[in-house]
Amino acid sequence: MKLLLLAALALVASMALVACGGGGGISEGTNNDNVTTAEGGDPAGNLTISNWPLYIDGKTIDNFDKETGATTKYTEDVNDNNEFFGKVQPLLSQGESGGRDIVVVTDWMAEKMYKLGFVQNLDKKKIATVEKNLIPSLQSPTFDPERNYSVPWQSGMTGLVVRKDLAPDVTSINDLFDPKYKGKVTMLSEMRDTVPLVMAADGIDPKEATTQQWLDAIDKLKENVDNGQIRRFTGNDFVQDLAKGDVVAAIGWSGDAVQAQADNEDITYVQPEQGCSIWSDNMMIPVGAPNAEAAYEFMNYVYEPEVQAKITEYVNYVSPVSGVKEILQKSDPSIADNELIFPSSEFTKNCFAQVSPPGNEADVKEVEQAFQDVVTG
Amino acid sequence: MKTLRQRLVPYGLLAPGLIWLILFFVVPMYFMGELSLKTGSLESGYQLTWATENYTDAISNYSTQFGRAFYYAGVATILSLLIGYPLAYAIAFKGGRWKNLMLFAVIAPFFTTYLIRTIAWKTILDDASPVVSVLKTLHLVAPDGRVLATSGAVIAGLTYNFLPFMVLPLYASLERLDQRFIEASKDLYASATQTFIRVTLPLTMPGIVAGVLLCFIPASGDYVNSTFLGGTNQAMIGNVIQSKYLVVNDYPEAAALSFTLMAIILVALLLYIKFAGTEALMGEEEEAT
Repeated sequence: MKLLLLAALALVASMALVACGGGGGISEGTNNDNVTTAEGGDPAGNLTISNWPLYIDGKTIDNFDKETGATTKYTEDVNDNNEFFGKVQPLLSQGESGGRDIVVVTDWMAEKMYKLGFVQNLDKKKIATVEKNLIPSLQSPTFDPERNYSVPWQSGMTGLVVRKDLAPDVTSINDLFDPKYKGKVTMLSEMRDTVPLVMAADGIDPKEATTQQWLDAIDKLKENVDNGQIRRFTGNDFVQDLAKGDVVAAIGWSGDAVQAQADNEDITYVQPEQGCSIWSDNMMIPVGAPNAEAAYEFMNYVYEPEVQAKITEYVNYVSPVSGVKEILQKSDPSIADNELIFPSSEFTKNCFAQVSPPGNEADVKEVEQAFQDVVTG
Repeated sequence: MKTLRQRLVPYGLLAPGLIWLILFFVVPMYFMGELSLKTGSLESGYQLTWATENYTDAISNYSTQFGRAFYYAGVATILSLLIGYPLAYAIAFKGGRWKNLMLFAVIAPFFTTYLIRTIAWKTILDDASPVVSVLKTLHLVAPDGRVLATSGAVIAGLTYNFLPFMVLPLYASLERLDQRFIEASKDLYASATQTFIRVTLPLTMPGIVAGVLLCFIPASGDYVNSTFLGGTNQAMIGNVIQSKYLVVNDYPEAAALSFTLMAIILVALLLYIKFAGTEALMGEEEEAT
């Protein structure tokens, strides 16, 4: 009896403690009415970067530290846009970045974070190298037309990745619904990668698509899940299924296709007839970043073509920096001539910038939930 | 003075465990409970509106995934028992000097992480693997069929991953089994089968109950096996909770789903223990007194 009393007391005490202490895990949202320009810090101080896994070569960070005297903590803690957002949102809404000076997220998430006031404007005078070397096609995306707050890290295409020996005739997203490939196709579990391509294949312009058209496309996916046509929804692991031949065609990312091709030349990226989706992952300076100066320094550094060439050689995605192709032409022509790394405008003529569902927060969530219900059906 | 101190000793001993439990179980549970009754979004904040519809939605929208989770976990638990009991029996009674080595072999896979072990099954079961071609020859899998990305693969993964949790408690109870009971049974002309059913099995019930609990509870909340070995329409409730938390960022609904899962498991356990458990669990103590 006494024990019970003690336990109850302890419980009440601890609740009171938590209620007045760190209870503000999830707080009121903020907005970007008074968005600041990132400033302050020491270019030779500590720099903390959050990026996606396997997204940089092994030497760039060390070289940067050597050249600038900075001490860089490079963490690969972004695995998924939504998951990362869920993790940093409680901090950012309090104006804290958790020590991060640069975060790298995909276009739509960059926009969302900016609109919530989680990201600072960039002082363009301090990123002269970026201004000079950013390739024209990435200079004015719809979500940040003047690149006021985002700087592309790497860019890429979402399209078809096929085993040309097992599914030679796959040229359109709609070919993935061909019954002869039943149970042998996969799609990406990122909604913004998969659904717009499915809509485009049916002649809908993804940029103009209504909520209903998104939902219709998701219904189409649902049918093909229920009849066993679609085997799985995947992340980067679609490559392994293709390599084993369990899957013959997939919706996948261009960079993974290049890397997989090095091991198995039957794996190829195929530009869908109706076009691909083009996206970027962007460096941004979050609110509360302790060392904006070092962040600017780093952005400039990776926009040096010589530095960028090393990164491109390693990650095989589309580089946002001009002048890289010329450097690689000498050192590694196979990369310089690869259409997936340096796509021509002819190759991407039907492609569109990655889109999000239209409407307000609730509309977007409805579509997101409908898609998730198919993925976890 | 001394008596007071003596009276305080048990509380002192309990304190570390109690504080741990309060900080890392009771308090999180309280917040999750509160969260599960809120509405709103991550962007605009959550307000406590006593939204009990989170619970009704959880049950009505995801009954399939709940059902699937308990079905997969149930089959995996039964398979673990069918595989684990003979295994534990063999180690305990026929192991001889290899006993420790065999036990080690049961635990050895745990030196590799859970994720790696599960992903390894993707290679074991891939469409062109020897295992699958044998199954096809035996007509257990259709000629154009597959194992990976089916319910079978998810259940196989669960069984494999939770088997040691079944074997260890079974082994412990078999090992402690007083051989004189079995001798007595034989002296009384019981056949081997009768001895097993009427002596060995009842006396090892505590091990079975413990093994079933240790297998079934984590297996029904698992989402890793279904993520990697399952395909479409094989999501368990764990996958839904994961997607609600991390993809849709709908925390209240995710919390409500977690609570519903806990409640169902708790009720199932109480029924199970009432039906098969208490006596068996207490059996040892009665025996000792």
